[in-house]
Amino acid sequence: MTTPLLEIKSLHKAFGRVVTANGINLTLERGALTSIIGPNGAGKSTLINMLSGSLQVDSGEILFQGKDITDLPIHKRVRLGLCRSFQVVNVFPELTVFNNIQIPVLAVRKRATRLFRSLSREKDAHDEVGQVLDRVGLESKGHVLANALSHGDQRLLEVGIALAVRPKLLFLDEPTAGMNPVERVTVLQNIKRLSAEGKTTFVIVEHDMDIVFSLSDRVIVLHHGDIIGDGTTDEIQNSRRVKEVYLGEEVME
Amino acid sequence: MQNRFWTFLLIALVLAGLVSIGLFSGRFVVYLSMRVMILAIFAMGYNILLGRTGLLSFGHAAFYAGGAYGLGLFSIHVSTDPLLGILMGVLLACALALIVGFFCVRHTEIYFAMLTLAFGMMVFSLIWNMRELTGGDDGLVGIMREPISLGFISISLLKTSHYYFFVLFWFVVSVWIIHLIRSSPFGLVLSGLRENDRRVEFSGLSVKNYRLASFVISGTFAGLAGALGALLENNTDPFSAHWSHSAEPILVSLIGGIQTFTGPIVGSVIFIVLREIIERFTQNWMLWFGIILLVIIMGLRGGVVGGITQLFKGGRHTSPSGGKP
Amino acid sequence: MLESIVHVCLAGLSAGMFIWLVASGLTLIFGVLGVLNFAHGSFYMLGAYFCYTLLRFTGENFWLGLLLGPLCVCVVGFIVERFFLRYVYHLALPYQLLLTFAFVLLFDDLVKVVWGAGSIGSPMVPGLSGSVSIMGRNFPTYNLFIIAVGPLVALGMWALLEKTWWGRIIRAASSDREMASAIGVRVPALFTAVFIFGTWLGAMGGGLAVPYVGLLTPGMGETVIINAFVVAVIGGLGSLKGAFLGALIIGLLSSFGTRYIPAFDMFLTFILMAAVLLWRPQGFFGEAT
Repeated sequence: MTTPLLEIKSLHKAFGRVVTANGINLTLERGALTSIIGPNGAGKSTLINMLSGSLQVDSGEILFQGKDITDLPIHKRVRLGLCRSFQVVNVFPELTVFNNIQIPVLAVRKRATRLFRSLSREKDAHDEVGQVLDRVGLESKGHVLANALSHGDQRLLEVGIALAVRPKLLFLDEPTAGMNPVERVTVLQNIKRLSAEGKTTFVIVEHDMDIVFSLSDRVIVLHHGDIIGDGTTDEIQNSRRVKEVYLGEEVME
Repeated sequence: MQNRFWTFLLIALVLAGLVSIGLFSGRFVVYLSMRVMILAIFAMGYNILLGRTGLLSFGHAAFYAGGAYGLGLFSIHVSTDPLLGILMGVLLACALALIVGFFCVRHTEIYFAMLTLAFGMMVFSLIWNMRELTGGDDGLVGIMREPISLGFISISLLKTSHYYFFVLFWFVVSVWIIHLIRSSPFGLVLSGLRENDRRVEFSGLSVKNYRLASFVISGTFAGLAGALGALLENNTDPFSAHWSHSAEPILVSLIGGIQTFTGPIVGSVIFIVLREIIERFTQNWMLWFGIILLVIIMGLRGGVVGGITQLFKGGRHTSPSGGKP
Repeated sequence: MLESIVHVCLAGLSAGMFIWLVASGLTLIFGVLGVLNFAHGSFYMLGAYFCYTLLRFTGENFWLGLLLGPLCVCVVGFIVERFFLRYVYHLALPYQLLLTFAFVLLFDDLVKVVWGAGSIGSPMVPGLSGSVSIMGRNFPTYNLFIIAVGPLVALGMWALLEKTWWGRIIRAASSDREMASAIGVRVPALFTAVFIFGTWLGAMGGGLAVPYVGLLTPGMGETVIINAFVVAVIGGLGSLKGAFLGALIIGLLSSFGTRYIPAFDMFLTFILMAAVLLWRPQGFFGEAT
């Protein structure tokens, strides 16, 4: 039996009296494109933060490819192959697009500690940066400063930086937030294609149901720190419990 | 390539100029030029931490003093060999920077600045109080400039003009090393730290380690400057460890341009020359520097070099460092 | 033996209260504006010099000088904030610190130009000069006065911030600038007002320092600002309660240090500062960052 990519055991996190993760148990397998949905405040961001390492868990275990990473610092998790992108664009503003990607590429190629070697001699890294730019569709914009990009392009860069570390498991936190429909389609097609390549398993946090149901192999529904739905898109669409929660929320508004 | 040719030509001209100063100028100009080069070494090293990595330290004067006192103590008690003395000074500064940096890089922004201030002043108070060892407020005196003996040849450093070429040598070496560092993968990561340290962490790199490395490198150059300064003046000054001395490389880098490579060098020239000129006319050079600093911060944040390059580039891609230094 | 300890304590208390007077303005400015004002030491120095000059003009009336002097410095503070500091709030920390440092350079030399570079002896305050005999030893009366003034200022500030409408607005603006602005508080004007108040406190410290320190020199700002920084950090940057207690601690520490381990009191102060920053950066009373 192959070790699952990610195992979460009894993950618990509370902020004062607000419980954002209520003893969550979850297993993720390689290759399945998973979406995590849930109303606001369901605990999606908290979960991602705990898994990626920005937030400490109160109790519970996180196993990545069988290895306990519960107390591992962020950069070590990334080196093992677990990474995330951010909902709010989180790039290197005054560096060029090329340099934005170059930093994680150099890091993953273990070239980032070179002090006395000129950047221009790093031909292999150079090529790999070009490949990443191609994959996200920014190949023509390498020399542009990150903060001079359009919002949509910045989101592409955001995903690009996350992909550049060659993650085995990548959490995308609302990757299409603020994009117009055309950009949205491009990004999603890219994700679908990359997921099919098989090198990276994607887990997407999303609000847009159309995207979720058109893209995912598996859908997980969070509510107040509990998983209230976990299955294929059909199962979730037909789940009474999920409908209650979502409709309930809407009725209350 | 056009650009490269002009760069090489410029470097060659500057080198020729520096060499001719050593050969033909009067004692005072030679002395001033050495002060400029020593300050430039201090400032360039410091700017790796400030301009590149984005960390403001008020304690680097302590490493400058570490270099000076390291060389001084070694010279007085062990051996007057200048090369060994410099090595000792640099090593002491490096070790100090490692210890202080280890504690300081856990924090950022104002806490980092205050921590470095505290550690720097701890070093100052140690130097001030341990009279038997450091000479207290008199400093160490009588640091001689003995000749360098490289086996079969002996190079005298006694004359100011001879010592000039020694300083010039270290200046060129420093410029070269710092250039290498800046254009290396490591240097790029430092820029990333300045721009977005969280994202660097999420690229799989330990932010703390990079900050520490940047801190130690800048501290080591400060030590080199301090050691060269001690040999120049033949004594050490306890106030070289005071936090107000830490302000000098910051000022100098700001005047020249924090984000640029040549900024600290240009800034050093301007600072020292300007101070000499102002002191001819008035006692109050601090007043004028205060005004210049105000002007730069309020309007010309790219410094002199930044302003000039913007003029040439027409402000296309580069934006003046508004948000971060 | 006992009188030694009592006198060292008294000396520590007066030193501590003196530092508190200076640090209070610095802490207030940092707490509300988020700016660490290097030039606060200069306002202290200007306060001292202005008070001294006014004292000479008003025929040796110390209290009149103390009233008017800091007001003059407030004008300077207004100019600094309104025309310079306001424009660098959005910039990174180094620029703010360097701007205030530029003013330090400026004011240091301006003082030299106007009052000369030498030190000026300051007269005693009639009524508060001389000393009181405590447990058989003499203790300066003026120092007792300082020990009394310190807590008064602390109480005054507490009352201002906790009990008045002004205080509530200040507290609101310091914890959430945007929100305060959204509900109609004119934040820039408020910042200017707080800065001027902080300046006034610093200048008052300088005015009160005239008889305490006994000597006016252009470098007096520098010696005082470092201690004020240390106190502000130990107490928790932005916490007035903390600054008050921090000042007491530092005052007593340096007093005992000077008396029993003279060589290392400066060192001890900075070790304490570093220790607090490392293990409890919010100080004893600040908010956790």
